[in-house]
Amino acid sequence: MLYQRDGHLTRDLLRAPGGFGLGQVPARLKPDATTDMVCGYCSTGCSLTVHLKDGEAVSLTPAADYPVNRGVACPKGWEALSVLEAGDRAAEPLRRDASGVQRPVAWDDALRTMVERFKAIQAQHGPESVAFLSTGQMPTEEMALLGALAKFGMGMAHGDGNTRQCMATSVVAYKQAFGFDAPPYTYRDLEESDVLVFVGANPCLAHPILWERVLRNRHDPAIVVIDPRVTETAMQATEHLPIRPKSDQALFYGLARLLIERGWIDGAYIDAHTRGFDEYAAAVEPYTLERAAEETGLGADAVERLAETIHGGRRVSFWWTMGVNQSYQGVRTAQSIINLALMTGNIGRPGTGANSITGQCNAMGSRLFSNTTNLLGGHDFANPEHREKVARVLDIDPAVIPTEPSWAYNEIIEGILRERIKGLWVVCTNTAHSWINQGQARDILGRLDCLVVQDMYATTETARMADLVLPAAGWGEKDGTFINSERRIGTIKRVARAPGQALADFSIFKLVAEYWGCGEMFRQWQSPASTFQILKRLSVGQPCDITGIDGYDMLDERGGIQWPCPAGESEAVPETERRLFEDGRYYHPDGRARFLYEDPRPLPEPPSDRFPLLLLTGRGSAAQWHTQTRTAKSAVLRKLYPAQVYVEVNPADARARGIVTSDAVQVESRRGRISATAFVTRSVQPGQVFVPMHYEETNRLTDAVFDPYSKQPSYKACAVELRRVAAVG
Amino acid sequence: MTVSENVALESEAAPEPVPSPPVAGATVASPAGASTLVDRYLKEQQVTAVARFAQAHDAAHAGGPALAGRYSALMPATPPAAGQQYAFDVDLDACSGCKSCVAACHSLNGLEEEESWRDVGLLHGGSRSLPVVQHVTTACHHCLDPACMHACPVEAYEKDPVTGIVKHLDDQCFGCQYCTLACPYEAPKYSRSKGIVRKCDMCSDRLAEGEAPACVQSCPNGAIAIRVVDVEQVVEESETHLFVPGAPEPALTLPTTAYRTERVLPRNMVPADYHTVRPEQAHWSLILMLALTQLSVGAFLVERLLELLVPGALTASIRPVHSASALVFGLLALGVSVLHLGRPRYAYRAVLGLRHSWLSREILAFGVFAGLAVIYAAWSWAASAGWPGRLAGWELTVAPVAAVEAGFGWWLGWGVALSGAAGVLCSVMVYDYTKRDFWNGPATAGRFFLTTAVLGLAAAWLPLSIVAAAGDEALAGVAIDRYGPLLCRGLIVATAVKLLFEAAVFRHLASRSTTSLKRTAWLMTGALSNVTMARFAAGLLGGLAMPGLLLLSRVPAPSGQGQDLVFAVLVGMLFLACLAGELLERYLFFAAVASPRMPGTL
Repeated sequence: MLYQRDGHLTRDLLRAPGGFGLGQVPARLKPDATTDMVCGYCSTGCSLTVHLKDGEAVSLTPAADYPVNRGVACPKGWEALSVLEAGDRAAEPLRRDASGVQRPVAWDDALRTMVERFKAIQAQHGPESVAFLSTGQMPTEEMALLGALAKFGMGMAHGDGNTRQCMATSVVAYKQAFGFDAPPYTYRDLEESDVLVFVGANPCLAHPILWERVLRNRHDPAIVVIDPRVTETAMQATEHLPIRPKSDQALFYGLARLLIERGWIDGAYIDAHTRGFDEYAAAVEPYTLERAAEETGLGADAVERLAETIHGGRRVSFWWTMGVNQSYQGVRTAQSIINLALMTGNIGRPGTGANSITGQCNAMGSRLFSNTTNLLGGHDFANPEHREKVARVLDIDPAVIPTEPSWAYNEIIEGILRERIKGLWVVCTNTAHSWINQGQARDILGRLDCLVVQDMYATTETARMADLVLPAAGWGEKDGTFINSERRIGTIKRVARAPGQALADFSIFKLVAEYWGCGEMFRQWQSPASTFQILKRLSVGQPCDITGIDGYDMLDERGGIQWPCPAGESEAVPETERRLFEDGRYYHPDGRARFLYEDPRPLPEPPSDRFPLLLLTGRGSAAQWHTQTRTAKSAVLRKLYPAQVYVEVNPADARARGIVTSDAVQVESRRGRISATAFVTRSVQPGQVFVPMHYEETNRLTDAVFDPYSKQPSYKACAVELRRVAAVG
Repeated sequence: MTVSENVALESEAAPEPVPSPPVAGATVASPAGASTLVDRYLKEQQVTAVARFAQAHDAAHAGGPALAGRYSALMPATPPAAGQQYAFDVDLDACSGCKSCVAACHSLNGLEEEESWRDVGLLHGGSRSLPVVQHVTTACHHCLDPACMHACPVEAYEKDPVTGIVKHLDDQCFGCQYCTLACPYEAPKYSRSKGIVRKCDMCSDRLAEGEAPACVQSCPNGAIAIRVVDVEQVVEESETHLFVPGAPEPALTLPTTAYRTERVLPRNMVPADYHTVRPEQAHWSLILMLALTQLSVGAFLVERLLELLVPGALTASIRPVHSASALVFGLLALGVSVLHLGRPRYAYRAVLGLRHSWLSREILAFGVFAGLAVIYAAWSWAASAGWPGRLAGWELTVAPVAAVEAGFGWWLGWGVALSGAAGVLCSVMVYDYTKRDFWNGPATAGRFFLTTAVLGLAAAWLPLSIVAAAGDEALAGVAIDRYGPLLCRGLIVATAVKLLFEAAVFRHLASRSTTSLKRTAWLMTGALSNVTMARFAAGLLGGLAMPGLLLLSRVPAPSGQGQDLVFAVLVGMLFLACLAGELLERYLFFAAVASPRMPGTL
């Protein structure tokens, strides 16, 4: 009565040994089995041990012995299961009726509607008038099936993915420089470098587990962070270079010149393995130390010090992410980094490389198998031999394979505007939130005759605009493989039941094929596992050859396997971590890497009197993922970031506008304005403001400018003004 | 050419978008076997393929937790000796702000949907050339002198004598949430669905088996460790107030967590939420409980004072109604206060903490007060009906009986009033104990006792109007003539003093630094300005204007129907306005307090 030390409340928190090497777990969630699978958020590709009880996932912990993450994960990974239970999951197909309301319909109705509408549009406007936009978040098997179905079965000419928004620049940069889209590194390089240079990258928040690998580095490395903001990573650096936005290309040209001038280059490597160095040396000649210092806003001594650091390092690695990729001149900037690695011979050895860290969990799968820019398996649509090969593997008529690549995302959006695209199938992405210059993007989507959205949630900004919503199963509810940033292929598995009528995207594509009348073409695509065998055959002879992988079991046993893994060579167990180009042979026919360059261009929208501040956008916290369709569904993750959009502003700019932290402010660009909460902080420089990209409003401000080669949107530099609206409280 | 240019060029030429035709009645036929195919896929979707891939057995990990090697360096080498205990040890330099510790605490401990016992805040500052941002992870600090434990009225906390871990006994808790007010670090978290508080126990079951707590094993950077600390060292370090920038003063509870950095943090480091003021939770049941207990105590006190000032039969004849009405409010207050508990059926456990908990003492004092008040009210009714003598069957002369009765009543009356005052004093101490500036002892005492005066005086009009309404116009008339001016003048003085006292907080708006009282003033003039205005308006109306009006009109005795009504309306307005004003004041007391906390986020 008076004292009660035990009871149901106490038992609720009881911990008990979980078995399976897990240590203690909540007693009521003690698993009867476990399985490991790759996380479905970012490209780090951590493995998570899913705890199963009576055949259902009840909890998860980071997998202890996976070579990528070795027992740790970021908050998104920890909460990966809870977002599957959200109340706004799409649980049945929805069709917009005559009064404009989305109403539930049966799958049969939904599929007939989709096929009828798309066929009618194609009949009227030509087969290329229907296009698709997909994702870097689905398993490779589903991407390949979607790409094959849309282009070979349904006659579409154009399809692209949201990967355009995150790594298209790296793809093009690598393809041009190395002859194939091939990030050369393995994560162990983070541990083996003595100099790490991060450019436009904030791994502490964007790839927390890669930062963990940096901390395992036992070589007391110099860590240089080149970023306009004082990010978490900049705080951890041994040297932070707060560069003027988009001046990185000038910096690296100046650096190249300085290295050449001082003879701090690897002539032997350049001679043996590259082409175009002399022209490059001539091209960077005008980039004197003074000019580099002037354009970057860094002191000349800082630039010199960086050159010395690179020269002093024996194993120098360069790492970049969206600060480079999301730029109107991203390809050339990425290549200016690649050039540094090539000319100093910092590639193909442990702890080196010009290394793009990819964004999404399966962006790398999409790069090889989405059948959009590249023909399946990293092939070329324009190459008749490649078309023959793919047709042979798939047992289809080569004539159904388009002879040129798709339009890029921005060209598809533009195509809608030009009335060339009338029907759009959006799969697992959220254009109405994430596309640059959002107001315009939504207006353009609104002009479609038919918008079909296939997603886990019926409430995404894009799904709410759809004529037809197809309910999809998510990560954890279906099988397949992802490829991570270091080219490691890992599996995902069905460990939870999808709600209501939701189906795996793979099943939906198979159904669409049947309803379209081309089901016969995809008979050998029986399941994700059998599709993986098709992918293997498609990869034969390619740099990404994976014919040496038996199947999913082998991937699980080996802790994932990096490509390439050609048959025959894998008699011996392949090393857990492998890097490319150790033999100095690149994928161009002559085996040599290329130096590529171009004069930097001025900011497309420089600050002006009316809009005197430069807007930077980017990741806000490790707990938020992109447009937040998933991460916003976890109550724990929601605790980890501000609920409302905020803008970081330097005290000098804040003072000039009478703004203090917590004030309600308005951020305005030429395209739109948003209300936000001010956060006055020195982590942004004077003249710049930062708004996280995860909030719906952010892209109302951004300016639709693209890299001419990669067509990647330049999210990180447009002019804005800030105004105080209301006082704190 | 960019898309935006294209829009400019083409948007005028673009035809009106054709409205989509209705999509019902698709003419495409379903393929043969389509429905079975849909069914097959739907069926497949509902089967998890566990048998195919589950890792068969735990033999592979017979050696214990697979992560043990990873975290062994973060664990104490030896158990604590005498004069030592376990403590969290945070390496600020290693924390990169990923917040995995928060998610892992939630997940590995199987907590409720949004529950986690760890939080991560942000400090920022530095100079233009060297800006600094620093994330700060925080959980229970397993204090040497845990405020939660001392505050707890039901002994639901214990500090382990060996490990020093402050553990919460969930089944012992009755959900008063006082510990959430007492802890300066927001460590105990209230669960509405369970009706109890829960908190970090440093994963003591795990520690006991040599396993790392959830946060320790989940930090990718190894920034959180468990160390053995010397109690003496913790006490000494608390003297320098260098716990972590922006944190509450460590001397209050002697937190044991060590925040370490090799850097010299700039002196202008402030939490990201330093300038953010949010109203705190208002706790309506506590607002009602405080205001109404004070009303009741005040009414009994006023009754005592009136007897002192205006002795005689008059007081005795009003007494039954007066004490009954005061009692009703007192009982109502105590009833409401029980509703505040997450598990009201265990309310009786409140007596357990008498030795240390002001909340226990408050509950006891008001319990005694209520008991005495019931007896007193019953006695005054009985006395006025002349019952005691007859009941006892005494055939004594009237005078001695009356004397005994009067003596009994006098002592009882003062017993009620003084036990009530003691209860109010305990209420004061309940809030003083939290060490919040806005709730400091003298100020809270002034506030609560002035409320006692204001509401006691205002409520004294109720028995007068009840007597009047009951038809005893003669008695009412005399009483109002005698008491009215006293009550009016008293109320005006008490209200004026109280409003001035409350308004004095606004002087902190002028203070240069963002003190907690400045935050309170910000809240009262900002987010809570409507409440503030309503509070002062009600106070002015009920405590100054109405009694002033009554005084000016010389407190008209009700005679005749019309004036009856006017009098009832005036008195009703006076009472209700005073009560509303005090309730709003108490709302602000809770909502506008700036609570101490660890550095938070925007």
